[in-house]
Amino acid sequence: MKLLKKMHLSRRTMLRGAIGGTTVALGLPILEAMLDANGEALADGTDMPRRLVTWFWGNGVALNDANNPGAGLRFYPGTTGAGYELTPQLAPFANVREYVSICSQMQCGAAQPGRRGHHDGCVLLSGHPFIELPANGAPYASKFGGPSIDQVVADLVGSQTFLPSVQLAVSKRIIGSEGPTLEFMSHKGPDQPLPQIFNPQEAWNQMFASFTVPDDPDKPHRINALDAIGEDVIALQARVGSADKQRLEAHLSSIEQIRNQIDALAPACELPGSPAQTNDDVEGVEQIAAVNDAMAELLRMAFICDVTRVASFQFSGSVGYTVFPGLSSGHHDLTHEASQNDAVDQATIFTMEQLAVLLQKLADTPEGAGNVLDNACLVATSDAASGLTHSVFDVPIIVAGGGGGALTNPGIHYRSPSEENATDIMLAAVQSVCPEITELGSGNGYSNTPLSALKA
Amino acid sequence: MNQRPHVATATFVGRGVGRRAQWFRGKLGNVGRGMMSIRLAGLVALSWSLGCYSGIDDGRANSGGADGGEDAGMDGGDGPGDDEPISEDLEPAPARIRLLLSRQYVNAVRDLFGDAAAEVAAPPGNTPLNGFDSIGASQLSLGDAEVDAFESSANLVADAAIGQPAMLAAYGGCTPSGPTDEACLADFVSELGRRMFRRPLTDDELTRYVGVGMTAAADYGDALAGQRRIIATMLQSPYFLYQVEVGEPDSEMEGRRRLTGYEMATRMSLFLSDSIPDGELLDAAEAGDLDTAAGIRAQAQRIVAGEKAPAALDEFFSEYLRLRELPTLPKDPAVFPEFTPVLADSMWRETLTLIEDVAWTQDGDFLQIFDAPYTFVDAELAALYQLPDPASFGTEMTQVTLPPEQRRGGIFGHAGLMASLGHIASTSPTLRGKFVRENIMCTSVPPPPPGIVTDLPDTSDAVTMRERLEAHMEDPTCSGCHAFIDPIGFGLENYDAIGRFRTLDNGAPIDASADIDGQPFEGAAELGTLVRADERAAGCIVRGLFRHSTGHLEVEGEEQELEALEATFADEGYRMQALLVELVASPLFRVVGEPDA
Repeated sequence: MKLLKKMHLSRRTMLRGAIGGTTVALGLPILEAMLDANGEALADGTDMPRRLVTWFWGNGVALNDANNPGAGLRFYPGTTGAGYELTPQLAPFANVREYVSICSQMQCGAAQPGRRGHHDGCVLLSGHPFIELPANGAPYASKFGGPSIDQVVADLVGSQTFLPSVQLAVSKRIIGSEGPTLEFMSHKGPDQPLPQIFNPQEAWNQMFASFTVPDDPDKPHRINALDAIGEDVIALQARVGSADKQRLEAHLSSIEQIRNQIDALAPACELPGSPAQTNDDVEGVEQIAAVNDAMAELLRMAFICDVTRVASFQFSGSVGYTVFPGLSSGHHDLTHEASQNDAVDQATIFTMEQLAVLLQKLADTPEGAGNVLDNACLVATSDAASGLTHSVFDVPIIVAGGGGGALTNPGIHYRSPSEENATDIMLAAVQSVCPEITELGSGNGYSNTPLSALKA
Repeated sequence: MNQRPHVATATFVGRGVGRRAQWFRGKLGNVGRGMMSIRLAGLVALSWSLGCYSGIDDGRANSGGADGGEDAGMDGGDGPGDDEPISEDLEPAPARIRLLLSRQYVNAVRDLFGDAAAEVAAPPGNTPLNGFDSIGASQLSLGDAEVDAFESSANLVADAAIGQPAMLAAYGGCTPSGPTDEACLADFVSELGRRMFRRPLTDDELTRYVGVGMTAAADYGDALAGQRRIIATMLQSPYFLYQVEVGEPDSEMEGRRRLTGYEMATRMSLFLSDSIPDGELLDAAEAGDLDTAAGIRAQAQRIVAGEKAPAALDEFFSEYLRLRELPTLPKDPAVFPEFTPVLADSMWRETLTLIEDVAWTQDGDFLQIFDAPYTFVDAELAALYQLPDPASFGTEMTQVTLPPEQRRGGIFGHAGLMASLGHIASTSPTLRGKFVRENIMCTSVPPPPPGIVTDLPDTSDAVTMRERLEAHMEDPTCSGCHAFIDPIGFGLENYDAIGRFRTLDNGAPIDASADIDGQPFEGAAELGTLVRADERAAGCIVRGLFRHSTGHLEVEGEEQELEALEATFADEGYRMQALLVELVASPLFRVVGEPDA
């Protein structure tokens, strides 16, 4: 009877019923007309959108002297504060140096107590010690102990944009056999790593080509389907244990997210066309620079169209075996051979050049009275100080961007006098986007003390 | 105390092997098992503290029909009362739900809606944990990207499915009297739902799905639009996407739950055929046939004898032996110009062909894969293995014996395994040794000492890979583990990073004399012979299949039954088909723990 009754509804009523209840607030690109007189805020008084990017490369950087690991890294400037000297590894930032701060002599607090080379450094971007899975004769694996910082921020600001966050990657030579800690950068929690996209065309598809046209006749029915399976998920939740209840809760919230995405309008900005670049190897060689450039450009467009405000960017993987231009061995292997320190140096310089590509693109994109980099915060780091030492003390950490005025400008070299917890840096970074976040991490990685030197 | 009666081990399956009398099987199995329990003590000690195992042999010694009972094998289907009892000592891991693997999703779509629909199915990929996709599928959550992918895939599959009216007719089969023939649509939902959810739908579900379908049918003025929407919706339901294995309480098993017949059908079908149950298996579940070990065996034997089982086993070994990494394996083109996608594919097929030969063609001792004195090559591999007139081999796999000076034999001599366990431009004795320890022997390798700033020895004087690694082993912080794994790889140094035979490394002669646990060997065949004789290797195959098929690493309370299963494998002459059947009939596969609170 209930079903027959439904049939008497007019189509218009059904559509309203199907879509009603959820209003999607999709961000719009920042147009001049929307700004206040100074160009520093929106005309309605709200702040300009702020963005967070986490950027990762694997296996650390080159040592000053491979035969004396205690002599530090080639990465760091000899001087501290603003106007620090640019080492050869930092030279790629010459044009954006005012936006770039370098932190040295920090300790990865979250590395304790569960130590395992590389795994313990990856947790820098969450502040939570990793969870070791009991191997019991099977291959080793570990999970993140809590959300990565990009997901802490996405959880708070993600509903304001079409996509809460995006996960981009460049090199495919990553390790998938030791669990999510090494394989992924973004984690909503221990059981929810977020897969990264390697192919620029797929990234474009996700960010700019998956909008549903408003009058698509299938739209209400796709939403009906999601509502129906949502009821199935809720019913199933009643029958399972606590861990599975949480998984189904995650499933449910993603159903809600996709439902909203189907219902969302495309942003009113000129969407870019599909990039020509894929991530296929040419003659067995990765096209790292070309893929990096394409991904950086897509991210720049995603920011100016306000498709998302949060991104992770896995340039190369932890324990990754990327072969960098001019070299013939995988990066991880190189970093574990003292005699290859110069090759590691070369790979580090190349990596910083690739990071500078993104920074430059954002700095060159005007927004309001400034540029997109003024309204962004980018944290770049690795999984060890150097692959040779596996040390999680003095891991290179870069904080770039103006953070909407929240971060120090010009950038500085901050050398910790007391081996401070690196989560302090992460807290300062996320507060540039979400000032309401007062703590991050757990255990030895916990912080409620943002690194004040990084703040404006 | 192990209450298992002797018939629990009874089993004979497979082509050309008749069923022997129950009592006779029982006797044989019992003797074999007692012997194995002693043999396996070493393996047990590796995984768990020995204290956990006191009492193992009590169970064995008394296993001669503790509660007598009738021969469960001869009267399956009469209900749990006549089933082989389940040991009180079995304390299985908590019940979990598990996502279908990508390939299982695609295979299910093919079975349900045909090839055209399978062609467009595009589920998200899998993330392994502890080396197994299925363990990741039991623990990790779906996120926006995955739900998005499932939504898109469902719509594409539904579009393709309604283009195959002959297949859709299998579900309900009535012809709608008009666009909104509710009774007809309800038949469709009911029949399709039973296949897709692997159980009858509840009334709530029936109402819900008919509602979704009727809304679409009315909107489009087309009954087919209703079916299309129902297909797309069910493909996204958690009851399609997850294996729901929560079981039901059993008064005879406190703190444990017995999988229902329908849950068993799904679990065994996904394991043995990589797809959802067919109609016959669902009917068997409905009839209660899967409530007894004997009934399970009968259905398992049918599936194992069917056409999908070899492909499912291929998929398992492609993961277990890392063969599936071959197509995207990076090798330095300057060093290995001959390593092409075509060659990588041939390597993959070589190993699968040997596995298929042993498991299906012969139905023989599966441990032959470690030291088989023959292999299978096409023209690509014939050239790589330096056989005369390689072009004469063509694209089909042909059985050959390889030149004796290469010392090949079994999978350790296969180019694919040697290639995947290597670096881009060089071999890796460490990766090869670690693989033998972890994947072949099921022995975890302790982690490298973390955070220690070591001043590694200068290796600039080392010429060969072996010399470089031996220099590393001079460092006491490294030598413990590397001495445990590297020497195994030293014995395989005559196979380069794409598995080609060589006698020189970096211009210097290779010394491939090595040892594993003090037993000397040189080359793949000798290593394989030693591995085959080591009971840990057979046990590790059992454990690998168990982990894959149940989606978790064994817990302590499952050890005893695992050992029994390992013993059964031995009793059955290490025949893979017998192992597959006995695994699904084992209490390990049929009982789960209470869900975690």
